[in-house]
Amino acid sequence: MLKVAFKDLMARKRRLITTGIAVILGIAFLTGTQVLGGVLNDSIDGLFGDIYSGYDAVVRSPEVQETDFGEFRPPLEAAVVEQVRTAEGVRAAYGVVEAATVSLVGADGKVTGSGFGPPTLVYNWIDDPIRPGVLTEGRGPEAPDELALDFKTAADAELEVGDTAEIVGQDETREFELVGLVGFGDEGTDIPGAKPVYFVDEVAQELAGAPGQYNYVAAGAEEGVTQEELASAVADVVPDQQVITGEEWIEQNADQLAQFVGILTTVVTVFGVIALVVASFIIYNTFSIIVAQRTKETALLRAIGAGRRQVVVATLAEAALVGVIASLLGLVGGTLLATAIKALIGSTFTVTGGIAWPTGSTLLLAFGVGIVVTSLSAVIPSIRASRVPPVAAMTEVAVDHTDLSIQRKVWGSLFLVAGIVCSALGLTSAVGNELVFVGVGLLCIMLSVAVILGPLLAGPASRALAWPLTARGSMTARLASENAARNPRRTAATAAALTIGVTLVVVIAVLATSIKSSVVEEVDGALGEVDLIVSAGQFSFLGVPPVVSEEAGQIDGITEVSPVKFGFLRLLDEYGIQQAKQDAASDPPDEDAASAGAIFGVGDDAPLGEDAIANGYEPSNFFDLVDLGDVVGDPQASPGAAIAARDEIAEERGWEVGDTIPVYFSATGEQDLTLVATYSDGLGPDDDFYLSNETLSTNAPPGFDIDFAVYIATEDDPGVRAAAQAELEQLTADRPDVVVQDRREFVESQTAFIDVFVAVIYGLLALAVIIALIGIANTLSLSVLERTREFGLLRAVGMSKRQLRWTVRTEAAIVAVFGTLLGMVVGIAFAVALAYAITADDPGLLQLRLPVVQLVVIMVLAALAGIFAAILPARRAARLDVLQAIATE
Amino acid sequence: MSDPTGTGTTTQRAVAAGAIDARKDYGEGDSAVHALSGVSVSFERARFTAIMGPSGSGKSTLMHCLAGLDRLDSGRVFIGETYLDSLDDAKLTALRRDTIGFVFQAFNLIPTLTAGENITLPMDLAGRKPDREWVDQVVRTVGLADRLEHRPSELSGGQQQRVAVARALSGSPEIIFADEPTGNLDSRSGAEILEFMRAAVDELEQTIVMVTHDPTAAAWADRVVFLVDGQIVDEIADPTAEAVLDYMKHLGD
Repeated sequence: MLKVAFKDLMARKRRLITTGIAVILGIAFLTGTQVLGGVLNDSIDGLFGDIYSGYDAVVRSPEVQETDFGEFRPPLEAAVVEQVRTAEGVRAAYGVVEAATVSLVGADGKVTGSGFGPPTLVYNWIDDPIRPGVLTEGRGPEAPDELALDFKTAADAELEVGDTAEIVGQDETREFELVGLVGFGDEGTDIPGAKPVYFVDEVAQELAGAPGQYNYVAAGAEEGVTQEELASAVADVVPDQQVITGEEWIEQNADQLAQFVGILTTVVTVFGVIALVVASFIIYNTFSIIVAQRTKETALLRAIGAGRRQVVVATLAEAALVGVIASLLGLVGGTLLATAIKALIGSTFTVTGGIAWPTGSTLLLAFGVGIVVTSLSAVIPSIRASRVPPVAAMTEVAVDHTDLSIQRKVWGSLFLVAGIVCSALGLTSAVGNELVFVGVGLLCIMLSVAVILGPLLAGPASRALAWPLTARGSMTARLASENAARNPRRTAATAAALTIGVTLVVVIAVLATSIKSSVVEEVDGALGEVDLIVSAGQFSFLGVPPVVSEEAGQIDGITEVSPVKFGFLRLLDEYGIQQAKQDAASDPPDEDAASAGAIFGVGDDAPLGEDAIANGYEPSNFFDLVDLGDVVGDPQASPGAAIAARDEIAEERGWEVGDTIPVYFSATGEQDLTLVATYSDGLGPDDDFYLSNETLSTNAPPGFDIDFAVYIATEDDPGVRAAAQAELEQLTADRPDVVVQDRREFVESQTAFIDVFVAVIYGLLALAVIIALIGIANTLSLSVLERTREFGLLRAVGMSKRQLRWTVRTEAAIVAVFGTLLGMVVGIAFAVALAYAITADDPGLLQLRLPVVQLVVIMVLAALAGIFAAILPARRAARLDVLQAIATE
Repeated sequence: MSDPTGTGTTTQRAVAAGAIDARKDYGEGDSAVHALSGVSVSFERARFTAIMGPSGSGKSTLMHCLAGLDRLDSGRVFIGETYLDSLDDAKLTALRRDTIGFVFQAFNLIPTLTAGENITLPMDLAGRKPDREWVDQVVRTVGLADRLEHRPSELSGGQQQRVAVARALSGSPEIIFADEPTGNLDSRSGAEILEFMRAAVDELEQTIVMVTHDPTAAAWADRVVFLVDGQIVDEIADPTAEAVLDYMKHLGD
């Protein structure tokens, strides 16, 4: 019996491939991300191992503040270095300056290293193997106007030793002579995930915003002294500081990046899983059709004595074999994918060269998932095959029966109810793990849509969709719509694959459009009297040069200049402490043995509290320039220790204007601020706190006392405004990363990231959609085979090949549009539900907007994609031999 | 165009279709089967001709070639004044659609279309408006007026075949080819179909060529042509079932 299944499979290799393609793509995606994730993690470990290979112990401040940009610790005084050198077992110890406060001007005159990608880091040149990086050419900087770069950055900027390099700092742009190049790894041939720039100590400290200070002290051990011994000895001589081993330092640094890579792989894996769910629909569908077409053969086998179990096993074996082959090909594809991406990122990131070999667990995952998905998808069809009565061998060809069984309706309805309840629970936050509930709920709803709603609607919908054509007497459209309607279950299952992809696309599109228009409205409204905005690149720590806030006021037509700083603080009020305790309880820090034993001296020494981000404001004019809704209190009060809060937040925390709020800054420790004002609307959704610029400046960590934007009001005259804008641009001419925007430009740039995000999601969902289209092509190919005689008759009575091709293509378009429509309805419903859930917590955050144009475009694309998917099946139908099709002998 | 007749058969009337020295082989070399080895025949307008012969005699091949469904190796076939050999697929398709009607043994109807839609299918495919009066007359003749909205699955075998005959007639073609039209039917339904075909020839002046191996069916024709081993061996005018049966028995000897 298994031999029969195997022979059957081999006889139809083409079908095997088309069925398998869906799985191949899904597995390739899944394993590709796994392989890539593994490679990246190894690289990250290797990377930091390379950079910090000279560190045996690191001394740093115990004061720490967690932020979205990593943890901040205040710098150490130079005296600490001398203390460390006195410890036993220390071969050498140096203060290290390490800060992301500069950029290099590239060959094109633009600033490199801002935006995504490797950051530019300031280092002081240390003439010892402790220094990150190996000198490969020239020498280290010895004079204040000299610097060294890594060879890759230098090459990208078209700089050679002896050339002049332009460095953009927070205050000014300076010129340096390039005197040396470094590389990483033992040979100095690797490139790090950052662009290091080396200066002499004083210059590095100045650029980092901490004159006379070092970010940390790195020590190398004498021969025969272990890292732990060294760290312990060092801790004894600097009792106020924290000391950790070099290994621990590398691990902590790697962890931060690895976390990011982890999130990335998880996200991409989710889309791989979506693709596999879509693929399972296609496999189910293919096997359903194959089983129906093979009814006679199965009946014959049953008639000559095959048992029902044997029929099931044979069908499942066939599916499993498809799974094995598809998994294998998918694995190959995934490996190629990972290798290709690796080669692609190799230019900015050190990764080991060559093929990205999958690990054992990836192999297991690929075959496990591949085989399980295909076999499970074929379970129902195989049971159906086993129900073929032997007598069917003697009757005319049975066609896949199409009625909806009671069972199906019951199960479908149960799924629907379960799905709605599940997602409702998740959306209303009545349960703990909201996302899981929403996810499972949506999946159940999708299933019920595919299982009952789809088949119920497929018939009428097919005819309705073709109506514009059939009403004008198009016979091809009529035949196409009837063909799509004749087997609603098949049509629905084929369309369901597309429905899933489209649902997700629509949810993203609707939410993105809604969020975007809400952001635009909110930002535009809140900007009040602001006419021009000066800002630096979004991911830069360079800030707007101080010259803008100092001199902009002298430009003709500019009436107000209001610099905006930003910073981090920890709230030590009752509420904040409570919050921190809860967080600690629900998410205990994973203190593995290694890290526990790796910290010497003082542990982290920050008071318990809630971390927050705060914007800065200029007390004299900020609250007049921007529109923050109802403002209560006097923002100009106690400028050196002022905090303002959104009124809802203040109420929640029990604050009243005039109250003293205890806070903590990593740079200056615990401070008392005064709540000087409350406001009802921030500039953005997360603008919960404003601190006066002076407060932020006094308490800023080194390198963070920057204006991240300057708001400017001008006289109300477009000509004057344009002239002012031009003069501001002139003022910042040496800072190519700084932009001067009017309100419209600014608002648009604020939403640009949403477009990027949506584009990335679309790209990932494209996989699911492509698989769905392959499914349509596959189903149609099988249907064409099934309708051979019908097509023969049509050709005999005068249907041209062209007409026949169009019949098949129109059917595909109908199925595609049907699936898309269903996806749109479900997608919009989901989006509305999600929007409801989001706004329940924070009304006004999001106003629901339907991207009508986008939805229409998606619809048209779906129809075209359907036609495209039908190219091969249509050609196949047209090539059918008319005679063979109608021959009766 | 020259008169493609003078093929040795009696030709008082205008000729609707015919073949001249038609040859066709299947397979190659020693295993080649001569399906048609030099058939010359013509079919007169407004006459009902039956082609008979044992299995493998080439009668279906002859009909397929005459109807433009298959191509000859050599020789020529024509419908009306058109030689089919020089036509490409698109022109052949148009010719089938506009000038030929078909009735097959089985699978005659598109299951997704109603009886009425099946009847006007060739014209709809051509984008032509059916001649309503003529179609009505055809439908009345085959007695299907109250079945037009039904799907084939809701009709009996005999009714389905009547729809097929109506479809063949509806475009008022030059000629109708019927391939064992009664082969799948019980004798009463078969007789009905043959009666309609007879009526179509007598009352509507249609031309019908029917392939059959049933002497009773052949007896409804005006003329029976006998085909054996790819060659025409004889013909009977105004046949009776007995005469045909006798001749067939004689052939079997």
